[in-house]
Parts: sequence; C-alpha cells; structure tokens
Amino acid sequence: MQTRELASMPALGPLFAKALVPSFSHGPARVPDYAVRVAGVRQSMERLADYDRVCGFTVRDEVSPTWLHVLSFPLHVQLLSGSESSIRLAGVVHVSNSMRLHRPVRASEVLDVAVRVANLRPHKRGAMLDLVGEISVDGVLVWDGVSTYLAPGAHTPGEPEVLDRPAFEPQPTIAQWKLPADLGRQYRRVSGDPNPIHTNLLAARAFGFARPIIHGMWTHARVLSALDGRLPEIYTASVSFAKPILLPATVGAWWQQTDTGWQAAVTTKDGSKPFLSVQVS
Amino acid sequence: MNLPRSAVIVGGNRTPFVKAGTAYASASNQDLLTAALDGLAARFGLSGVKLDEVAGGAVLKHSRDFNLTREAVLGSALDPNTPAVDLQQACDTGLETVIYIHNKISLGQADVGIGAGVDSASDAPITVTEGLRKALLKANRAKNLQQRLAALAAIRPHHLAPVAPQVVEPRTGLSMGEHQAATTARWGITRSDQDDLALASHHNLAKAWDAGFFDDLVTGYLRVSRDTVLRPDTSMEKLASLKPVFGGPNGTMTAGNSTALTDGASSVLLAEQGWAAAHGLPALARIVDAQVAAVDHVAGDDLLLGPTHAAARLLERQGMSLADFDFYELHEAFASTVLATMAAWESVAYCRDELGLSKPLGIIDRDKLNVYGSSLAAGHPFAATGGRIVASLAKLLHERGSGSRGLVSICAAGGQGVVAILEAV
Repeated sequence: MQTRELASMPALGPLFAKALVPSFSHGPARVPDYAVRVAGVRQSMERLADYDRVCGFTVRDEVSPTWLHVLSFPLHVQLLSGSESSIRLAGVVHVSNSMRLHRPVRASEVLDVAVRVANLRPHKRGAMLDLVGEISVDGVLVWDGVSTYLAPGAHTPGEPEVLDRPAFEPQPTIAQWKLPADLGRQYRRVSGDPNPIHTNLLAARAFGFARPIIHGMWTHARVLSALDGRLPEIYTASVSFAKPILLPATVGAWWQQTDTGWQAAVTTKDGSKPFLSVQVS
Repeated sequence: MNLPRSAVIVGGNRTPFVKAGTAYASASNQDLLTAALDGLAARFGLSGVKLDEVAGGAVLKHSRDFNLTREAVLGSALDPNTPAVDLQQACDTGLETVIYIHNKISLGQADVGIGAGVDSASDAPITVTEGLRKALLKANRAKNLQQRLAALAAIRPHHLAPVAPQVVEPRTGLSMGEHQAATTARWGITRSDQDDLALASHHNLAKAWDAGFFDDLVTGYLRVSRDTVLRPDTSMEKLASLKPVFGGPNGTMTAGNSTALTDGASSVLLAEQGWAAAHGLPALARIVDAQVAAVDHVAGDDLLLGPTHAAARLLERQGMSLADFDFYELHEAFASTVLATMAAWESVAYCRDELGLSKPLGIIDRDKLNVYGSSLAAGHPFAATGGRIVASLAKLLHERGSGSRGLVSICAAGGQGVVAILEAV
C-alpha cells in the first residue's frame, strides 16, 4: 500500500465540514487505497494535561493509549472526507476499538502517525470498515489501534458477517459517574473531534438522538482512568460500544480482574444494561 | 510493645458539637480549634506554657489554612513559642494526631503535646469552577496586559458559579452514604438494628450528659453548652418514621441512623508520665498500641471496613483477643458501619478470606459498646471525632480502674481505618 505523507496534522474543523457533506456516489462503497502519515508529531503537554483532567487520568509523563488514538484521529477524518471515499466519517458509527500499547509512550516523544483503511466488508445495515492506526518512534512501532466503523446504507459485495457481541453479564456497579451536559464540549476541546452530535441538540436530533451523546472514546478513556495504577505497562484495550450515552447522564461502572487482565463495563445507573464493555489484556 | 518512655493521656477538652449551619455557622475552623485549645489550657493550667508540639487537622480545609493548627496556637492561651503541625487522614485525623504526639513522647522527642482536630461543615471552603480557576491562573502568569486580558476574556458566565466541596469518593463517584448503603445491603443489616443502635447512642449520650460526665471534657462555646445533635427524647417510633436517604427507596439508612453534618473541635493533652506527675497533672490512660489499614474500595471492597483489617493486625501484634476489652468505641459514621464491622469480626469467611485469620475475631458484648453514646448522637465534625472518643474513653477507663482496656475504631474516606488500644494507668 502506498503512503501519502502530510506535512502536519490536518486541522479538524474544515476537514470535518467536508466529512459532513454526504457523498452522493452510487454503487459499491469506495475507500482510499493508500495510507496517510504525518511524521514528527510533537505532543502538547498543555493539551495532554487538559485531556487527562477531562478523562480522569493522572497527569503523567506516560500517556494513555486513548490519547494516542486522539492524536491519530485527524487522519481518520482525512481519509473519510476526500473524494476517494464514498463513506463520510460524520455518518459512521464507531462500533468497536482495539488498541495495543507496545511499550510505555512518553509525552516528550516525537511520534510518526499513520492511518489506513482496511477490511471494507458487508454488514446487514451497510458496510463495515477498519481504520488502522500505527504510531512509531524512530521506526519502532509503539502503538497500534483498530477503529471499526459501521457505515449505514453503504454497499460492498459479499456475504454480511455475523457479529457476535460479547454477552453482557450484569454485575454490581462499583462506581457511579455523573456526566455533565457540557461534557461533549469539554471532550471536543481536548480531542479536537468537532462532530456536532456531541455538542449540539439539533445536530444530535438530525442523527436520531434525543440529546447530544458523549464521545465513545471519552467513556473508554474514563474506564481506563478508573483503572489508573492497576494497568500493566504493555497491554491491549478492546472496547465494544453497545449504546450511546445521552448527555447529561448518571451511569454506573464496574471492573474486575480476570485471568488475563481486566474486564469492565459502563452501564445504566442500575447496572442492568451496558453502554460499553472493555477488555484489557 | 516496649516503648522507651510512657506517654499518658492527661485529659481532653472539646467544644459542644452542633448541627452544621446553626450556632457555629459564622465560626471558622481556626476559631473552633482555638476555642478547644483555650478550654484545654484553662482546664490544665497551660496558659502561657510552652508545649513541645500541637498536632491538629481538619478534613474540610481552606487553602488559606495551610498552617491551621499553628495559627490556632498563636491565637490561643498557649505560649506562642509552641510549634504545631497539620495532619490529615480524613475522619481518622483526630486519632492520628493523638497517635503522633504519643509516639513523639514515647521516643523522647517531646514531653508534652496536644492532639487535636476540628471541622466546620458550615464554613466549608467554596471554590471556583475549573474554567475560572484556570483563566485566573493564566492571567496571573501573563507577562503583559494584552496576555492578561486575553486570559481573562476566556471567562464565561457559567464559570462564575461557586463549587462546594463534594463528599464523594473521587475514584468511584459514590458518596460515603452510597458506599455504605452497598455494604449495608451486602451484610444484610436491617433497618431495625440500625435504628436500635441510633436510639442507644442518643440515650447513652443523654445519660452521660445528665450524669455530668462531660463537665470536665467540654467547654461551652458561642452560647452552646451541650451537643445539639443529641435528641434525648427520640424513640424507635420516631426513628422508624424517617425516610431512607441512601440506598434507594427500599434503603434502610435514614437521617436518624446516619451522622449529621456537624461543626466542632476537640483536643487531647498527652504527656510523658513523669512530666505529668511533676506538673501535678493526672494520668488517665495510656495508648498501648495503634494501627492503621486501608481496603481497596476501588476494586469493590466495603469502603468503611478498613478498621476490621487494622484491628486484626493490632490484636495479633498485642497477642490480645477481641474479648479482652472493657469498652469498645466504634465510631458511628452510620449505624450500619458499626453493625457491619461487628458482623465482619464475627464472620468466619470474612476473617479467613479478608483478614487471613484461622478463626473469627469474635463477638462484642453490646453492653460495652459506645456506652456513653457516639457520633450518631454527638454528631461528627470529621477531624474532631477522634479527640472526642479518646478523651471520653480515657476518662471512662480511669473511672473503671487501673488496667482496664478500651478499643477505639474509626473508619475514614478512601477505604481507611485506624484503631487504638487504650489502657487505664
């Protein structure tokens, strides 16, 4: 696969405006067949600290894998806003995400960030695709992440795969989090994700939600921050998004140690239904 | 434990405890702590006397009170050359200050000192929003007017709302009451058992006041001479009529069997035994030993059962059993905390799996429990509770006679707990 180098991370505002414009192309879904890459990405300590506060992390020299996802996110938008893509990021649903931290990554490190589209495949409601991110330092891979999106209404040839959602076993909740109405705005500030469904009532309604919803990656980060100090140096965090959380909200959460790591979920306040479940191994 | 020197509890003094937002509403932590120290100085002739150290603390503390105890000492009758230190371990603060002074005296680093604590839920520090705080800090760092104006321009109207301190566990988002409600349900503690304990607390404290027990333990403050949370005339019917405040509509925890937000301060005078004798001061009791412990409530442990672990370790080290005491002072954060603590000590499974003991610690004789009431009736000004308990228990043990023993157990936020053994001199 060919790689297109960008001089710097694209600004999300204008890109996202493009990503909001529907693609009117008919026929099978098209996605870019090249990777985009930005070398020499410096991390802003100020923004990282702000991100840590909003997500509940302790401000440390070592960054969380969800932060590295945030750093790679502009390239997701880049890939799914151009003319080579009939799939628009603004319309896709983040279904699941899996990230691996190959070694602790420090805030002072200069990162090379690359993202490509992979595995475009049919789904009964449209098409699924993976955005595969890789971050390396001096040529050595330190983080990779696979964001799986569903593009409703898109078509691609083949038999739809049957998704097996992990079975949800209700557990007594350990924590209760109050998500304020402006949390979407706070997370937009630190993540740069300008999708208005997280901040604007009308936009949320336009996409079928009664109220703005919190970014799934905030909730994922909040679970990892709850395990602050308990996670190993190297791990894989996988999340499956079951339902969006409408803001403001009070949600429950639990986590427990397993043979291989941690299992966690964010649930309704009473613990009966999941919003997302997380596996750390 | 063979300590090099013997530290004794000489006596104590506290303010009456009052419901937050009432008689002490305009008194600060420093005001209250000064009152407790002045009362102690008056009682033991310490006016103008230089002590080796005063340890004090508050749980709800203003940032301006970085030297709270030292400032209280400077405003008190004590010699201004008396040094002071602030300690804080949530609701364990008061007992920890006493342990700190006791340890210094035992090691020969001090001859006489005071352990103290104070809390004012009425005068709790109100902070500003993160947005305003960050803008102001940024403006403060600005190097020129333009930068300063730019920083201040970031302030939005919603930033101006005040932010009251939250009494929630930061890592779980649950209040202490909500945590305890889960513990109450897990241990199957009934509403009537909780109300029973609350009733006994009120009746016992009222009895002690009527008998004059607190005459040399409490000094009136701001026209208050008795604890005002106390309801001597409460009854099972009244307690049973209260609605649950924690644990949902079917919860068993009410305002009657949970402690009220309280204002107050307490202090305990400790001295090396010879020093006390030489200065004509009494020696009521000594601290045999003390232990702190913590549980991992973030992983789902019962938040307020830290003392069960501390007690297990302490008794083992001292070669004592839970039955070896004449009095038990189990801080009543909630009635169900006391009941769950006792249930845990009786539980074979808990003592084996959680405390690593081959057999349960055993059953406490309820006639020896909180005999002159505890926090449900007296109120619970967080950091002042330790001093209240230590001074009262020392007096109780002294009255019972030489060698009599008492066990103090205090739970605290963050899954912590501290216990201590007192023995009459």
